[in-house]
Amino acid sequence: MPATETAAPAATGAAARFFTELGRSGRLPQLGTVSGTIRFDIVDGSDVERWYVTLAKGDVSVSQNDRESDASARAERALFDGIASGRVNVVAAMLRGLVEVDGDLGLLMVFQKLFPGPPRAGDTER
Amino acid sequence: MRATQKGERVTGDLVQILEGNTFVVSDRRGDIEASSTDPTGLFSFDTRCLSRWVLTVNGQRLTPLSTDDLQYFETRFFLVPGTGTVYVDAKLSVIRERSVGEGFHEELTILNHDDAAIDLDVRIDVGCDFADLFEVKDALAKKGTYETRVEDNQIMLGYRRDTFFRATRITASEPAQVDERGLTFSAKIEPHGRWTTDLDVVVVIAGYNESRDDPTHESDSKKRHPSLAKGLDRWIDHAPQLESTDDALRQTYRRSLVDLAALRFSTRTMPNRYLPAAGLPWFMTIFGRDSIFTSLQALPFMSELAATTLLTLGERQGSRIDDFRDEDPGRILHEMRFGEMTAFEERPHSPYYGCADATPLYVVLLDEYERWTGDHKLVRELEYPARAALNWIDEYANLQGNGYIAYKRRNEETGLENQCWKDSWDSISYRDGTLPGFPRATCELQGYAYDAKVRGARLARTVWHDPEFADKLEKEAADLKRRFNRDYWLPDDEYYAVALDADGRQVDALTSNIGHLLWSGIVDRSKAKSVVRHLMGPRLFSGWGIRTMAEGEGRYNPIGYHVGTVWPFDNSFIAWGLRNYGFKEEAAVVAEGILNAAEFFEGRLPEAFGGYLRSTTKYPVQYPTACSPQAWSTGAPLLLLRTMLGLEPAGENLIIDPSLPASVGRIELLDIPGRWGRVDAFGRGRVDTTKLKSRRR
Repeated sequence: MPATETAAPAATGAAARFFTELGRSGRLPQLGTVSGTIRFDIVDGSDVERWYVTLAKGDVSVSQNDRESDASARAERALFDGIASGRVNVVAAMLRGLVEVDGDLGLLMVFQKLFPGPPRAGDTER
Repeated sequence: MRATQKGERVTGDLVQILEGNTFVVSDRRGDIEASSTDPTGLFSFDTRCLSRWVLTVNGQRLTPLSTDDLQYFETRFFLVPGTGTVYVDAKLSVIRERSVGEGFHEELTILNHDDAAIDLDVRIDVGCDFADLFEVKDALAKKGTYETRVEDNQIMLGYRRDTFFRATRITASEPAQVDERGLTFSAKIEPHGRWTTDLDVVVVIAGYNESRDDPTHESDSKKRHPSLAKGLDRWIDHAPQLESTDDALRQTYRRSLVDLAALRFSTRTMPNRYLPAAGLPWFMTIFGRDSIFTSLQALPFMSELAATTLLTLGERQGSRIDDFRDEDPGRILHEMRFGEMTAFEERPHSPYYGCADATPLYVVLLDEYERWTGDHKLVRELEYPARAALNWIDEYANLQGNGYIAYKRRNEETGLENQCWKDSWDSISYRDGTLPGFPRATCELQGYAYDAKVRGARLARTVWHDPEFADKLEKEAADLKRRFNRDYWLPDDEYYAVALDADGRQVDALTSNIGHLLWSGIVDRSKAKSVVRHLMGPRLFSGWGIRTMAEGEGRYNPIGYHVGTVWPFDNSFIAWGLRNYGFKEEAAVVAEGILNAAEFFEGRLPEAFGGYLRSTTKYPVQYPTACSPQAWSTGAPLLLLRTMLGLEPAGENLIIDPSLPASVGRIELLDIPGRWGRVDAFGRGRVDTTKLKSRRR
């Protein structure tokens, strides 16, 4: 499986950085037990930036091309930037209804491990 | 809390049924009238989704004739109108048949036994406070606002706090007059006729199923029944069969299997997977420690609990540093919650990781699972989480810098102070009762770490094909054992300190923790006899079992939660440890005491009972606790059966080496599943426990 596919050049910002880096990360053994595709919709006014992440027992590929998904998560861009930088905890945000989810929640619960932890004292702000 | 006949799930006079993490607790009429602190209602995803559900006929409440617990997810209430204690109008019968799915379904039927037709006003009052389980337990106030929407034959109760929204939709199949407080039906019933309506109560969660046209498609609990019922039958059929001359033991065994089935937990975040939740009703959620201990107890009987526990906890293993959640990379979670307080980060359970034992125990369970099942595929799949867990021990848990696992919460507001199984505030103390500071390194954690390294080495050698890693772990284990036996041993008293304090000083109270050390194998052979002498001596052994803390210690209290009570779960692991060190007869004494106690609770052991001397009270005094059944108490008789029969996997064979108390008589455990296929174990009670007990006094 290819480690990465191309992201649309229009996508910039924290979300694009997060997914682009993820596509380059190669094998992620901490996700070794799950397979499936998650669709992320990042909402910015009337625009929706869409990312697909396919997990295959530890192999990860990222794409912006349409494909079938097993789970989906939808959030406003400002919120997603917070999640991607560790300032917002995605599980708590899901429970507050800020991240709209559907499909295989188990897949999302495993995926959320990839988001960074909160910045700690002494860390430089991302 | 008390046990009742027929295995009804009853809390005082309350009846509860459940499925997954959804459960209903009502009174014996089927009514729910919850106050803010009262534990009745429909609960789903750690939120109370219905707090009022009261049936009246012509303005009258009803009287229960009987309550049938059909299955753990289904109850039938037989009622008659009127609340008088003497006169009961027998011309009408009312039947409420209720089953839980995601929400609940109730079929309400009224039978007219009279020769004349009758017109009735049938009313269901509804209401909801949407309390978080934490708020019910701690009696906290709500911060959001309520809303109610009335539609045709339907009422929607909602609660909103910013973007957080939960709602409960109640729909009737018969025409009803609906107002904000309930539904009223005009029922005309012919002579000897009947009237029926279906009532569906559906839970709506913002961001999940709120915007769907028909969230009921998942909640039609009625349709789910056949598979649920079949699931229970299959569950019991697949477990080994116990034949015994001891009726009480057979009852306890069956009770354990049924209760474990009820405690199996699954949610939409892990569909088609079941792992043991900690206890009913408050702990229908993922707990690292409880799920692992229960899976270990149940391994010889149903290994799939261990498989799902390992998978689920591995998938949710800590991956980053998060002080609020006490999360570290490789750490196994403590508890997961889905309620409002977790959503707003007023509680850290999303999930919370403040637990120091689940991580080494994860590796212990993985190895024990392999020894029973030979399932190399799963052990290979879980190599990463197992290695990360082993890494956590040295990299993140060495808080005192001396190579021992220690704990100190980083979330000082809502985190847990004691991150070992004895998690109450006063559980770890010096002999004089004073409490040590943090970080604390309790002794059993070092035992678990040792066992994790030994077992991790075995898996590295046999399954992961990494002999270098195996060598390294074995060396570390041997070193840990050597240091532990030097640093924790109290030479004058001849037992191990319960902990090392922040200065590395020995915390010297005598506790049951030393029994877990036998189970882990960290005890020097030369010291085992002294440890056993303390465990079976009068200060720790009550006659029913081994107390959490020895009589005579500063904080000892026979009804103190972790400072003198007897815990069946604790005793089952100590009995296993006694067997491991060759003290078969002592293990039989402990097993007999706990199994005798179970008879007083119709086979359902409570979480704990008082540390009073058996000869004084004659019966085990139950500790008042919120949860029954409790998973690891339910698992205790299973592990005790294993230890009494001396079941031990050895390669592709199962060793059977029975050492049963004489009072048990004969036992046959048939079709024990494992890598050997299925084998039978037979044993006859030959251990005269009275002799052993009198010798100890």
